[in-house]
Amino acid sequence: MASENADHAVWLRGIEKQFPGVIACAGADLRVRPGTIHALLGENGAGKTTMVNVLAGIYRPDAGEVWVNGQRRSFHSPADAIAAGVGMVYQEFRLVPTLTVAENIVLGSAPRLLRSTEIEERVAELSAAYGMAADPTRPVWQLSMGERQRVEILKSLWRNASVLVMDEPTAVLTPGEAAELGAALRAMAEGGRSVIYISHKLDQVVAFCDEATVLRQGKTVATVKDLQDVDLTSLAEMMVGSSEGGYVDRPPAVEAGPEVLSLQGVCALNDRGLPALTDINMTVHAGEIVGIVGVSGNGQKELAEVINGLRRPTEGRVTVKGRDVTGASPGDLYRMGVAYVPEDRLGVGLAPKMSVVDNAVVRSYRSQRQGMFLSISKCVKFCQSLVERFSVRVGRLNDPIAGLSGGNLQRLLLGRELAEQPSVLVAAQPSRGLDVQGVAAIQGHLVDQRAAGVGVLLISEDLDELLALSDRLIVMFEGRIMGEYGPDVTPRTILGSAMAGKAPK
Amino acid sequence: MSEAAIVGLFVATVQFGTLVFLAALGELIAERAGVLNLGVEGMMTMGAVSGFMVGLETGSPWAAFIAAAAVGALVGGLHALVSVVLGADQVVSGLALTIGGLGLAAYVGRNVVGERPETKFTDLGIVGLADIPWFGDIFFNQPPVVYVAVLLGLAVWFVLTRTRWGLALRAVGESAPTTDAVGHSVMALRSGAVMVGGAFAGAGGAFLSLYMAPGWTEGMVAGRGWIAVALVIFGAWRPGRLALGALLFGFTLALQPRLQSFDIEFLGVDVNRISPALLGILPFVLTVVVLVIISWRFRHRPSPAPAALGLPYRREER
Amino acid sequence: MIRPVLVRRDRVLPATQSFGFVVGILVALVLGAILLWVSGNSPAEVYERMFDSAFVGTDSLSRTLERTTPLALTGLSVAVAGSMGLWNIGAEGQMMAGATVATGVAMMADGLSGPALIAVMLASGVAGGMLLMLGPALARSHLGVSEIITTLMLVYVAIRVVEWLQVGPWKDPGSLGFPRIEEVPGQASLPGLFGRVNIGALIALGLLIVFSLAVSRTAWGYELRLAGSSPDTARYAGVSLRRKVLTALLLSGGIAGLAGTIQLTGAEVRLTPGLSNGFGFSGIIVAALALMRPSGVAVVAFVFGAVQVGGQSIQTLGVSSAISDILQAMILFGALVAAVFFNYRIRWTGPLGESSGEEIEQLEPAVEEPDV
Repeated sequence: MASENADHAVWLRGIEKQFPGVIACAGADLRVRPGTIHALLGENGAGKTTMVNVLAGIYRPDAGEVWVNGQRRSFHSPADAIAAGVGMVYQEFRLVPTLTVAENIVLGSAPRLLRSTEIEERVAELSAAYGMAADPTRPVWQLSMGERQRVEILKSLWRNASVLVMDEPTAVLTPGEAAELGAALRAMAEGGRSVIYISHKLDQVVAFCDEATVLRQGKTVATVKDLQDVDLTSLAEMMVGSSEGGYVDRPPAVEAGPEVLSLQGVCALNDRGLPALTDINMTVHAGEIVGIVGVSGNGQKELAEVINGLRRPTEGRVTVKGRDVTGASPGDLYRMGVAYVPEDRLGVGLAPKMSVVDNAVVRSYRSQRQGMFLSISKCVKFCQSLVERFSVRVGRLNDPIAGLSGGNLQRLLLGRELAEQPSVLVAAQPSRGLDVQGVAAIQGHLVDQRAAGVGVLLISEDLDELLALSDRLIVMFEGRIMGEYGPDVTPRTILGSAMAGKAPK
Repeated sequence: MSEAAIVGLFVATVQFGTLVFLAALGELIAERAGVLNLGVEGMMTMGAVSGFMVGLETGSPWAAFIAAAAVGALVGGLHALVSVVLGADQVVSGLALTIGGLGLAAYVGRNVVGERPETKFTDLGIVGLADIPWFGDIFFNQPPVVYVAVLLGLAVWFVLTRTRWGLALRAVGESAPTTDAVGHSVMALRSGAVMVGGAFAGAGGAFLSLYMAPGWTEGMVAGRGWIAVALVIFGAWRPGRLALGALLFGFTLALQPRLQSFDIEFLGVDVNRISPALLGILPFVLTVVVLVIISWRFRHRPSPAPAALGLPYRREER
Repeated sequence: MIRPVLVRRDRVLPATQSFGFVVGILVALVLGAILLWVSGNSPAEVYERMFDSAFVGTDSLSRTLERTTPLALTGLSVAVAGSMGLWNIGAEGQMMAGATVATGVAMMADGLSGPALIAVMLASGVAGGMLLMLGPALARSHLGVSEIITTLMLVYVAIRVVEWLQVGPWKDPGSLGFPRIEEVPGQASLPGLFGRVNIGALIALGLLIVFSLAVSRTAWGYELRLAGSSPDTARYAGVSLRRKVLTALLLSGGIAGLAGTIQLTGAEVRLTPGLSNGFGFSGIIVAALALMRPSGVAVVAFVFGAVQVGGQSIQTLGVSSAISDILQAMILFGALVAAVFFNYRIRWTGPLGESSGEEIEQLEPAVEEPDV
């Protein structure tokens, strides 16, 4: 047995794990050879993150074996996994913003006494050795997303990890930064380390990785020994299980209607009081979908908030159907026909501890009254109509919504926003984190709204989604508009360089 | 106003400062680890009664001081169990600790009310420095607890900024998942911090019942535990600023019983005609004013509070 | 090695929210019995005395209800702020402020007839409570200063001001040098109902009903709960958080001020520094046990009133009344811990591959899963 495993850096065997209401892994396997970059593929909810969390000692599997470097392991905590040589780089970075780069890197494996200068020197040596520049004395909150990712990788290298797990590493990177990352990972693999690479972006997977394991509904459905032998389409088919594509097709372009939303010279600050939007000029017409392209954190969130009255612009004007609405409250804007599907559903837009009914009436509770009191029967009836119209799968309507799945939360939220036929819909990352059916349903609703004459502003990190749905694309970088493009005529390379802030050709 | 009265005022300032500093330093440790403990008043009171009773029994102020710290740690341990291990609401648990601690102290100490201790800390002159005029008495001829508090303050600063544990403690107060992911035990760090914090508060209580107001009466902590909680905010969660704040509050606490003996005029009013009861509101009003000023100064900046303060952590929670 | 891990339950156990309170009472009784036994008392005897003096007979019930009234009002005060996730730790001080302002008004308007004077005093009591809350409320709504510390600090300020008043400007000239404040005019006494119970109890009950309905059944209450549960979502729904924080805190202060005034004109005869008598602090526990719901406050306040009356009665047995404070805190701790176990279960985790000893629950296959 041991000899069979000796040539594996990682072998996760028959992993089972369930959470309340969800089976995350149902006997999944993963074998990674030393010195290779191994892609772990699958739809959202296929169990990828659960698998690597088991490997990292975060989750304890209900059944199954974990082998690392030829030894069977039983991790009680992340410390055990780190000691066994597993390094994790999470999609949402696990860094302490107020600590410095060096402090973050040594956290957990620091010497008993900290001598800052000595540690900073050693961190600087390490980052030089792997060609990953990072100033060890800077606090992490000052760093860009790409720099933070470097800190995460250095953190694992500091612990001399033999297996590095990267969860969706390029989601926060520009195409150029992603290429640099690919080169750095290749250098690590050539040095004998193994990398587990989780991504949706199949073109990058094929470019960076040697082998692949595909998960579907918690089980391993395919392993690919050599990624050069397969094409993207067959990989995608393995992931979704049938040839049904991921994206809803946009109906042919129609003549755009009158202007419903316009921004003129809008500037705004972010939560830290630093400029987040600079001189934004854009319009959205009735019956079109305008896509906002950009790496996240380039002002998209602030843009959505300014349009929806959650953030006051410092300069400029916002008009809806020709009326100046600059500085209007979110409630007033909704009544004027501006609906909003926010990016952080459970933080803004929904109240996780309140019931389905309470969440359904967030926009309309004032009209569910009877005399002085809120009419419970009116609220329930309204909620039921949403649930039916948008096929939300819920348990009891009086239970907190925290138990609903991401797709159902999003259907409830979108349904509520569309209930009173808006004229502008701002949708931020509406399909993120949903499975194929959920994505199709949400995208279907967006396309329907376009057909019904709503002006849709779609903010997404998924370039494919934007290309498939949008009538026009606007690229944002560092709070500025880099240019406007037609989706059918613009090569991705041009969009990519605009996303990276390079002047469009 | 006599020279002796002024020196006396500052001697008392240092002592009152020490009292709130000890408790606030304990709260600082807990809060840097991300745990808000509103039970300081209760822990101090428990420390005061148990320190006094052990002192009465053993005749040794040091045994009493250490026993009070142990009791404080134990009471803090209850908060750690409920709010850190079980993850219940920290505000509710801390308040219950204060109310229950006051009640339990009253119950435990019901038979020693009014007894006079035969033991107390004596002032400890530091050779060569205690004789310096003015400063000698104020800084170098104080009870040993004052020097212990200074050493503890330095130790906490050193541990927080210069050791592996301090780094882990600061990290767990900012982000528990991150600290967990690198292999530190969130529960051990937080529970440990709360218990050490409780020990400091308990020791502060014993300083009160053994030296500053020898004896035991119900409610003798009189809100100074709450001042300690506020002081942590005043000190922006840093031991150095905390020490300065403690001296400032110590001054207002020391001023109250003395102001009547001062023959000075302020804004056309003879201060010695102001009622001591009215002067007693000074530290509490000062606390509110200072909190407002601090919030005003930080209104456009990220707060210096630990980011995870008050948030429970469970690893497999999604 | 086998270790316990808390795992969230698929479904919260049914009807557990009110059950937590019952568990808390049981836990407190057991721990209290141990404490009594260790200190050489007979727990059965003490508990019997407490029960008899709180519940058996009209006089006992009237004593319990007399205590229930201020506890219900301070509990309501804390719960109104708590419905929005705010903590009014200073109801004790607002009670004093209310009683102080009411006393001052009574001194100036003692020529009024009984009902008019009572109405004026109750109104000025509400104003007094609000006045003491004004600073913390504005600091919270406009600067984000934690209301926990500020409201608490003002408790000490309010009590010290009353101490000053009774030795200074309001000292009763007829008290022969003894520092105390003049009695409120006789016609200001609240009309009695039975025993020691006066119409203050009805006022408290009425307010509990009004606020229960307001919080759970009106748009105003919906906004309050939404803002407490998820502030960003409330802003998104068009709720002005500043105004909501201000109104919730001021109402909270006003209710506590009313509690102080009802104590002043019902149970007591004059303003003293001990008038608030810990009711404000106990009100925090009452509200926490009622899970910040005004509808639950009445029940918890009644039980706490009984515990306090019982605590007073056992002094004749030579047992300290501090027992009742300990019991109150223990009820809260017990309920807190119980609430954790209603939402979580313990799973004993051994090394991988060994049975963890839990049965696998049948689940529907997950059609759509959150990203795990």
